[in-house]
Amino acid sequence: MRIWVARYWALIRSAWLVDLQYRAAIAIWMLWNVTEPAIALGIWWSIAGQGTVQGFARADFARYFFGVTLINQLTLAWDAWYIDRWIRHGEMNYRLARPIGPVHEAIADNIAYKARTASIILLLWIAVAALWPAVRLPFDPARWALALLATVLAAGIRFFNGYTTGLLAFWTTRATAIMELQFGVALFLSGRIAPLSLLPAPIAAVARALWFPYVLSFPVEVLTGTARSPAQYLHGFGGQLVWLGAWAVACLVVWRRGVRQYGAVGG
Amino acid sequence: MYRVKVRDPGLAGAARALVAPRYREVRAVEDVSFVVERGEIVAFLGPNGAGKTTTLKMLTGLIYPSEGQAQVAGFTPWEGGSPFKQRISLVLGNKQQLLWDLPAEETFQLNQAIYAVPEALYRERRDELVELLELEDVIDKPVRQVSLGERMKCELAASLLHAPEILFLDEPTLGLDVTAQDAVRRFLCTYRERHGATILLTSHYMADVTALASRVLIIHRGRLLYDGALQSLVARMTQAKRIELVLGNGVTRERLAEFGDVREFRFPNATLEVPRDEATAAAARLLSSLEIVDLSIQDPAIEDVIRRVFAEAS
Repeated sequence: MRIWVARYWALIRSAWLVDLQYRAAIAIWMLWNVTEPAIALGIWWSIAGQGTVQGFARADFARYFFGVTLINQLTLAWDAWYIDRWIRHGEMNYRLARPIGPVHEAIADNIAYKARTASIILLLWIAVAALWPAVRLPFDPARWALALLATVLAAGIRFFNGYTTGLLAFWTTRATAIMELQFGVALFLSGRIAPLSLLPAPIAAVARALWFPYVLSFPVEVLTGTARSPAQYLHGFGGQLVWLGAWAVACLVVWRRGVRQYGAVGG
Repeated sequence: MYRVKVRDPGLAGAARALVAPRYREVRAVEDVSFVVERGEIVAFLGPNGAGKTTTLKMLTGLIYPSEGQAQVAGFTPWEGGSPFKQRISLVLGNKQQLLWDLPAEETFQLNQAIYAVPEALYRERRDELVELLELEDVIDKPVRQVSLGERMKCELAASLLHAPEILFLDEPTLGLDVTAQDAVRRFLCTYRERHGATILLTSHYMADVTALASRVLIIHRGRLLYDGALQSLVARMTQAKRIELVLGNGVTRERLAEFGDVREFRFPNATLEVPRDEATAAAARLLSSLEIVDLSIQDPAIEDVIRRVFAEAS
């Protein structure tokens, strides 16, 4: 156990040290991730006016999109792009020759990235909440704990989803294109552009049959208090567990098959 | 054996490949069998695409072979998992494991944790490798700012911190200048003497092979053509020896031809080829009959020998 703690700490430390070399690029990515929900909030703020849109008032939209910004940072996974590059450029070779699987480096990298960016967003939220009561959350540690659990499960789903998609590079050069397609679809189906309850019924039904709502919409609803009944929790956490298991199994199957037919690119 | 997708050139070919993809089966390595003893340095020789790197990658567990068996340090490489990987190291001349933006020392520390090397042992090994590879002024600079030769030395140091029993080197001197190549070769010889590590390497540079390997495995089109000492191969493949001469005044090509086959004549330099078992006698006759400034008896260039092996195999 101590060996694994040391390994993870060393991997996280390295990821932070590398990040420090790319401060400007990371700041720009973060800015983009803040800009998208800010634009969505602006649009819904304007539409809501002094009234409500299907029960959502301006303050509800503000809390929702602040939640989207934070949860999105905490669950975002870039792994498909990294894994695709490792496989296609032969960078997987030395990783496969190490006594720890490449997945551990990816997990550590995710922890490093999320801890850094989400802490900045959280501080930003606290600063804004001090000045703007609309985005304040009521003091409710139990709900925050549930939101944390939902966020961890969501991060797990997005990680395995991205990692599995990246592993498709064992067979195709289009792995990142498949991931970009999922990013595009997730814009609508995960609740990034609007709360799911505002989507047309057929689209919301499609979303509920897939993993997208469980990686963003549900944790945000738990955090902001939109989801609060036992039935909603049961449905949300149950869905998260099902999709987490499904993507983890898919990841394992794709990894085992892919690595067996890997041509060890380069050299 | 693996499948490669093949397609005709042009847009029509690309469209056909989309609708009805065609594949060709390629045998990268076939019927290659050998045993390497502990502490040996063995070099794989072969032209590009011969299968030597594929063999190396199978032995490190990177590639799963479609058929056949291998045992490395008591493990089947592709099933050995962490315990196997803890006992080997792989250095790829064209792909580095060093963290590009950070000093090499950071990669060393990362590898210390990954291979679970205790702190005291890590410091001892690190200091030894830094001294042997003369890296004192290099390891605190970002990797992207050090020369190719220094980077390869750092790569070697990072790969040896866990004291692997078996070191696999794929083109370790690729792209290095002669000084850096020599430094890497000297280091590998010293390291092997000190630690008794087994080294398997591939290289296109004959100088790597002659300086390091006691034994060569020649692979061509996936098949093992030769397994043994380099000098035995040279003796087997060549029925002749070369006599390199620096001639004195008045020695003509015709006069020289009385002693053997004149391969080159650029006065005052000349090269004569004579039957292997007559080389000493021919040299003595040359010295007593002609005005000779300098004379040396040599085997043909190793590159020529290897080229002949491949030509005969083709």
